[in-house]
Amino acid sequence: MIELHSIVKTYGTHTALHGLDLTVPTGEIFGFIGPNGAGKTTTIKIIGGIMAPTSGTVQIAGIDMARDPVAAKHRIGFIPDRPYLYEKLTGLEFMQFTADVYRVAPTVFREKAEALLKMFALADWGEELIESYSHGMKQRLIMCAALLHEPQVLVVDEPMVGLDPVAIRMVKNLFRDLAARGITVFMSTHTLAVAEDICDRIGIIHRGRLIAQGRLEDLRRDIRGGAPNLEAIFINLTQTPDEAPGEVPQP
Amino acid sequence: MSTVLDLIKPRLWPLLHRRSNGAARKYIRLGVMTSVAGLLWIGVFLVSLRVLGHFNTIEQIGPLLNFKLLNMLMVTALALLVFSDILTALSKLYLARDLPLVHALPVPAHRIFLARWLEISFDGSWMVVIFTLPVFLAYGMVFEQGLLFGLVLPAILLPFALLAAAFSCLLVLLAVIVIPATRMKNIFILLGLLAFVAVYLAVRMARPEQLVDPEVFDSVLAYVASLQTPSSPWLPSTWAYNALQTALEGQPARGLLDIALLWSGTGVLLFICVGLADTLYFRGYSRTQAAGHKFRRQPASRRRRRSLFSGPTRALIDKEFKTFWRDQTQWSQIFLIMALVVIYIYNFKVLPLEKSPMPTFYLQNLLAFLNMGLALFVLTAVTARFAFPAICSEREAFWIIKTAPLAMRSFLWIKFAIYFLPLLVLTEGLIVVTNTLLKVAPFMMGLSVLTVLVMVPGIVAMGIGFGALNPDFRTENPAQAVTGFEGLLFMVFSTAFIGAVLALEAGPVYHFLMAQLYHRPLSTRWFLRAWASGLLVVLLCAAAAVVPMAIGRKRLERRGI
Repeated sequence: MIELHSIVKTYGTHTALHGLDLTVPTGEIFGFIGPNGAGKTTTIKIIGGIMAPTSGTVQIAGIDMARDPVAAKHRIGFIPDRPYLYEKLTGLEFMQFTADVYRVAPTVFREKAEALLKMFALADWGEELIESYSHGMKQRLIMCAALLHEPQVLVVDEPMVGLDPVAIRMVKNLFRDLAARGITVFMSTHTLAVAEDICDRIGIIHRGRLIAQGRLEDLRRDIRGGAPNLEAIFINLTQTPDEAPGEVPQP
Repeated sequence: MSTVLDLIKPRLWPLLHRRSNGAARKYIRLGVMTSVAGLLWIGVFLVSLRVLGHFNTIEQIGPLLNFKLLNMLMVTALALLVFSDILTALSKLYLARDLPLVHALPVPAHRIFLARWLEISFDGSWMVVIFTLPVFLAYGMVFEQGLLFGLVLPAILLPFALLAAAFSCLLVLLAVIVIPATRMKNIFILLGLLAFVAVYLAVRMARPEQLVDPEVFDSVLAYVASLQTPSSPWLPSTWAYNALQTALEGQPARGLLDIALLWSGTGVLLFICVGLADTLYFRGYSRTQAAGHKFRRQPASRRRRRSLFSGPTRALIDKEFKTFWRDQTQWSQIFLIMALVVIYIYNFKVLPLEKSPMPTFYLQNLLAFLNMGLALFVLTAVTARFAFPAICSEREAFWIIKTAPLAMRSFLWIKFAIYFLPLLVLTEGLIVVTNTLLKVAPFMMGLSVLTVLVMVPGIVAMGIGFGALNPDFRTENPAQAVTGFEGLLFMVFSTAFIGAVLALEAGPVYHFLMAQLYHRPLSTRWFLRAWASGLLVVLLCAAAAVVPMAIGRKRLERRGI
């Protein structure tokens, strides 16, 4: 469903991604983790069609993003890490905007929009201007909008940032449900517990290279001496001795 | 004091980093902007020198008139400084994005206030000071003053600017307790524009064109010289004026008391501000944040209004109109444009064509031809204010467009369509009404309407296209985008485009009018030339509409967010 072939991305003299190859099949929840500045957001932006790679190809449901970006984007629901929206629209108007852009049939829009707003506990806020929403509410509204056109692929950057515990549980269940219905979820996160909890496979990116990928059990097994959890795997793979943080000074 | 300086450092460090990064493009932009500003500065200086020098040669009333003008200039400069400082203070003290971080620091409110006051003094006054400086230098040269005048000038202008900033900060500190800063800014912009329009209308209705009439020129000059312009001893502009006048008369020592008044006035106002800051500043800031969370319910109808459009076109048009009308700052701009349109039309109504020595038929049509250029310049200015920031106004929500199944070409052309129709109606309206007032020949009316019809798409497309070259999606005020390098490029190219089209049309139009005036037949050569000119105009307009949009599209496609 998502295929990345030899993706290279450079910013001036700095290379953010070094020939990234990755395939995420239909109906899989893929967790993408890595230290700060490893290339997670760059990868997410390239998959979402926000940024063009310096070289390499991206295919979404068999459609080349460079050749037919409109068709490829039609199949994606994109959820960024920071919820910037049109502040002068109401929640419902933003849903209508998204429905029009993604050509959701007017006959089904109202029903779908209201169901999604209700699911994300925004039903009472649909007619309020977005400028009066909290960070978490904006994040939930973006999720509503991303699901409105029933995408085949959901690309999510840090899905749990700004959400309360109830919303986090709801989103986790939602992702599992979507995957069960054949929707592919590509998720970048720093919340390792979430990745551990819901991802079918996990990829670890470090300095622009995919250094490990596989099921959690496979990753655990690959670490010499084993690793009790994802955090241990992550630290083992991404920490070199010179990068180890200093000791916390004693008061 | 060291805490205050620490708070200003984040503003200064990026300047040093910029130098060390040394990107050539930035230097080119800076060079072009500085050159344009430099040319403008020299222009102001030369015009001032010429006008003041001319007035000075008029016996008896010349120097008196120059001093009256200086007094008026100081009052105007003070009003401009206070207006600009109030807007800057509202932003810097209450609305800036870094304020949550700054207020979380273990620093007393009065120190934050002091650091901000220094920034406000600089940001609010640098432009006024820089562009009044050539006028003061011209005064110095006309009154034959030397280095001493050059030394006295900063001693007057610096406290003048600091005092205006302190006064504005005090006003803002007190006002924000009653009205939150967000609303205060909108109200103030509206009031400022109303005042500007009122003054402008009053000046225009006073028929200053009568000054060119030699019969009334002398009496008007004598009248102006005898005018009692506001010179209250309580106004800082009077202190600055007195100090400048004595310096221009070669006796700067006599102005020391006024300079001392400027400095001590600044000190007193600042003392009051700092005294109030600990009590009032944080309260006002806290109130402003709470005001931002005011809920505004927008009842949604169950059924959507019928629309001619569907899909992304309808989505973007709906979004653009709702965003525009719900942003109160746009209303004041619309109001200003309406006032300028009234003034524009009024100018043509009061033109004394009958007094001209030239044949009326020729003059009417010559003016109608020049009017095309003028109306298109008005269009350029309105495009710069509304269409140019159209891309930038997507702000950080631009990711929605980038991830949407919408080609960037479609996005840009939809934006173009949204602005094209209102701007076309505005320009054609101006042309038709003014040409009707001028009573021009049907040929000129037809030519004007047709020329505007083919040129408006080019100018609006340039606005959108140049606006897409390098939009700053993080800006707090997208309307200011046009003050950047790309805005300058748009103005230059739009002006060149208007000039080129008028130059192409000028020859055939002139020969046609001459043939009409002297009842001569038109030659075959004229027809060939007219066709060639028309063809070139159409090609130029097509290029103006297509090329900037294509370049803008490529830049936006390449650009990440």
